Amino acid sequence: MGARLVQFPLILAVIYLVTFWLTWVVPGSPFEGTEKKISKEAIRAMEERFHATDSASFLAYYPWRIITEGDFGESLTSDFTVNEIIGQALPISVALGLFALVIATACGIALGTLAAVRRGGVLDFLSLTVALVGISLPSFVAAGVLLVTFCVRWPIFTIARWGHLSDLVLPGIALSLLPMAYVARLTRVAMLDVLSSDFVRTARAKGLSRSSVIWKHCLRNAILPVVSYLGPAAAVTLTGSFVVEKVFNVPGLGWHFVNSVTNKDQTLILGVVMVYSAILLTFNLLVDLSYAVIDPRIDLSK
Amino acid sequence: MVYHLRAMARLLVIPLVLLALLGGAVIWSGAMGSRDAGADFVFVNRGDIKTLDPNSISWLQDIRVAYGLWEGLCTLEPKAGDPDELVVVNGAAERIDVSDDATVYTFHLRPDGRWTNGDPVVAGDFVFAWRRMLEEPADYTYLHYYIKGAREYQQAYAARVEAVRANGATTQPAADYATVGVTALDRLTLRVTLNHPVTFFRDLVAFPPFFPLHAGSMKSFRVTDKATGHVTYRKAFTHPPHLVGNGPFRLAEWVLRKRLRLAASEHYWDRARVKSRVVDVLSFQDPQTSYLKYETDDVDWLAEVANDTAAELKKRGRKDVHTFPGFGTYFYSINCQDKLPGGAANPLRDARVRRALALAVDRKPLVDKIGLIGQPPATSFVPPGLFAGYPEPQAPGYEPDTARRLLAEAGYPGGKGLPIISLIYNTEGDHVLYAQNVAKQWGDVLGVRITLEGLENKKFATRLHDKDYAIARASWIGDYPDVSTFTDKYLSDSDNNDSGWVNKAYDDLCARAAREANATERLKLLGQAEQILLDEMPIVPVFHYVNAYLIREGVKGVPLDPRNQVMLKFVQGRSREGGRR
Repeated sequence: MGARLVQFPLILAVIYLVTFWLTWVVPGSPFEGTEKKISKEAIRAMEERFHATDSASFLAYYPWRIITEGDFGESLTSDFTVNEIIGQALPISVALGLFALVIATACGIALGTLAAVRRGGVLDFLSLTVALVGISLPSFVAAGVLLVTFCVRWPIFTIARWGHLSDLVLPGIALSLLPMAYVARLTRVAMLDVLSSDFVRTARAKGLSRSSVIWKHCLRNAILPVVSYLGPAAAVTLTGSFVVEKVFNVPGLGWHFVNSVTNKDQTLILGVVMVYSAILLTFNLLVDLSYAVIDPRIDLSK
Repeated sequence: MVYHLRAMARLLVIPLVLLALLGGAVIWSGAMGSRDAGADFVFVNRGDIKTLDPNSISWLQDIRVAYGLWEGLCTLEPKAGDPDELVVVNGAAERIDVSDDATVYTFHLRPDGRWTNGDPVVAGDFVFAWRRMLEEPADYTYLHYYIKGAREYQQAYAARVEAVRANGATTQPAADYATVGVTALDRLTLRVTLNHPVTFFRDLVAFPPFFPLHAGSMKSFRVTDKATGHVTYRKAFTHPPHLVGNGPFRLAEWVLRKRLRLAASEHYWDRARVKSRVVDVLSFQDPQTSYLKYETDDVDWLAEVANDTAAELKKRGRKDVHTFPGFGTYFYSINCQDKLPGGAANPLRDARVRRALALAVDRKPLVDKIGLIGQPPATSFVPPGLFAGYPEPQAPGYEPDTARRLLAEAGYPGGKGLPIISLIYNTEGDHVLYAQNVAKQWGDVLGVRITLEGLENKKFATRLHDKDYAIARASWIGDYPDVSTFTDKYLSDSDNNDSGWVNKAYDDLCARAAREANATERLKLLGQAEQILLDEMPIVPVFHYVNAYLIREGVKGVPLDPRNQVMLKFVQGRSREGGRR
């Protein structure tokens, strides 16, 4: 466990350096638009302001500030600092992501279990269909369909707004489809495996009811692969999805993730990547910890 | 049994933790926000606001909001009788005296001019902002170069900062701002001396780069470089509640990518004529979503409508869709330098080849099939119909026979002997469609072989500005309402002359026009200059832009302005019985 905690900052440092290098080798200037050229003096003034005259002074300036003050500096293309941008966008992405994650796990496990229990039946076929659609349907299609159906055709929800609890629903569902499909498939496969194992047969032979066996014995064993998938799934949903945010106009982090790169906003790229990495690493750590909670046989101290 | 319960509890930990986290996050994100009072006018801006620092404002969406927050010495106003046309009128200045040689402007500020915090607007506020523009230059600093000594001061100032930074100290004296032709004669009088007559100077001082700034409110955001004494400001001064403007509105709220809210200023001198109390500015990333928002929700004006949507709505006979001429031209820029990137001789340096390319493009099918909203095919660089009194020279249109003859004269009959020419474009919007069609036409008519190279925006901009291309997709949208905002682009020493085209006669005509005080003469000279440009064809014009708006019926004060400007002071939403939702 201790070793993992030491790895954490090391991995972050490596990610920082690689990202930093990538932001300097991509062409273009964050201070220039497509059509109009800005005078050399103006670019120079801007670069000095942001310590972006050369990679060395930039590298010397920023990591130190990030470590000592937790300050990612000014965004090169916005009136808001990187911290302010992340501070505004991250909570929104986290709320939306957690909502999607809850839907995905709840529905995914239910679908997968039903499919395994009624193997070969209609429910199995249905759940497989849902999983297939969830995995293969691009999120911009799903998001678009949801938007047109529930905001335009039947205006149950207000379109593209943020600030009310109901505004979570449609983007949350759109975001949950892919992880839900994965969870359903993982659960189904693991469940089938467990259902055919000896201890299940023994439990049934001893007279335990079918539902009791499924809920208390099988699910618990079948859920491990799902839990390990939750780590990366959480990191992806929590940091927001560019597509879903674009379609539903959700002011989350995913848009900055893509847009900072197109704008070559070096400080913002670094900030967003570091936050994303920290979340990903944290969730992987949490997943490892939760193994021990679910399955007493796993002991992390060994 | 006890073990059993504990096991169940352990199993429930994860979902419970997840749900608790979700609850916390929802509160944290403000998704539980209470409903707030409605706005009188809601519009969807072109995109997210980039900056509200007048020093660096250059994007259309920022300029629109800036006109609501500040007011220049002059300002724009819908013309009486023709509310779709914006005319320049006195703004923060009550009276303007112009010297006989039209180079000295004396602005008398109105005594009742007030900042949003109640402070009086004084001449020093303009000096402060205009000086900052030179010391901390940005996109539009060059517009200040019309002012005597401005360019020299900017260079001297930058050189000194640079010298101190390089050597630690310098014997070079500090640049003297007294050499610049901007002086506050007293509290309410500002004198501006120009290098030469500028017929559109009133229009210029209405533009955001000439807005005043409230120095006092920016003080706490000052960052002074210890070595050089160079002063910059943290951008946070533009956030509410810090931002202090002198315009009809104050900035009440700014949440990135969600909303800007403007509330009428109680101190603005002309507050009686401000039509809306609260204006909401929304931004969308997806044009389809913003259109659906307009269709299903309470939006008064959608400022950016996709061409296909606008065309479809027109076909359906909708009354709220408006298309009108824009302030720009879409064209292909041709590299006119002697050598192509890579060092090969450039066949395009021959004007006959360039003219052949221009004559071989049939623009009508392009605008009909791709443009969709009636963009006029372009045979000139300056869009027609925008400048009264401008001669509007035109190049010939589609003449395939002449084109083939010219190419043969240049030594490439049927395209023989020409290398494969590369055409670069940025992979955004319809650029690829235009490029494919134009390339096909060039191949069919002239036998010229073109390779298409789609590039990401930044890469494209770098290649275009470095003249690292043979033919490039390009467009130009004018900045201020004068022909020179177009013709200046192709001056030999212009930063924006991406074609590398150099023509002494063109430069001379533009320089003579700049010094000409007679407006008619001046336009005639600029017309002659454009004629040279069209004879030499460093560009192949394709079409002139057309803008599309969706304006809800009953909404007032949104002019169909070619430059897409709007004065928020005059906007008025349709009447809403029973208030807004």
